[in-house]
Amino acid sequence: MRLSEFDLLSCEKQLTILYQQGVYIGKRKVDEFTRLLFQLESFYVEITYISYRLSIHKVSYCESTSILDPYLEQIDVKYLVT
Amino acid sequence: MVKSATPKNIVFYADDDADDLELVQEAFDRYTNNVEVITAKDGVQAMSYLQSLNEQTPTPCLIILDINMPLLNGKDVLRRIKELQPLASVPVVLFSTSSSPLDKEFAKKYNAGFVTKPLDVSQMEIITELFIDHCSDEIKRSIRKHIK
Repeated sequence: MRLSEFDLLSCEKQLTILYQQGVYIGKRKVDEFTRLLFQLESFYVEITYISYRLSIHKVSYCESTSILDPYLEQIDVKYLVT
Repeated sequence: MVKSATPKNIVFYADDDADDLELVQEAFDRYTNNVEVITAKDGVQAMSYLQSLNEQTPTPCLIILDINMPLLNGKDVLRRIKELQPLASVPVVLFSTSSSPLDKEFAKKYNAGFVTKPLDVSQMEIITELFIDHCSDEIKRSIRKHIK
């Protein structure tokens, strides 16, 4: 599925496809929001929750890898550096 | 490790995500008369608990493992459980945020179930039933009687 096709789907259908095919990348908290990032084929989908897994605030998606940055910044690499 | 006092059907759940631990514990709330959920925060803690079980401690009727955990991931814990008697026969479910075909294949290879974490809490009741479906018929009946 391409981003343009995903964009045409209802939010409910988007979540169903994400649940069935999404590859989880990470989780982060920003203020009162919790965000989960998934990869879906060639693009990324970010779910923002007001209350984690309880109330979805928004679903955003893009092809740019810049969406990965805040998730990558959370990774503690000190144990990988010898 | 969090453990409550009354011995019931034990569901053991290991996950490093505090939110998901809470979510699953809440999902089993309606079975609180018949189920006690014992949790661990990583794979090492999970193995430590499971290896400490003896004839005096009740064996879990179901083990739920998050895949991505620090120190020892859920797949490694599953591998070790299958080498441990009498735990080898306890039903295990891998509970993951992704629906990776490779992880599903891994679960199948080790005779474990695979359930994807919900995106929305409305799916949680169905998922809890899926967890219980992995238990033996006797345990299923025992868990589902007198639902809160």
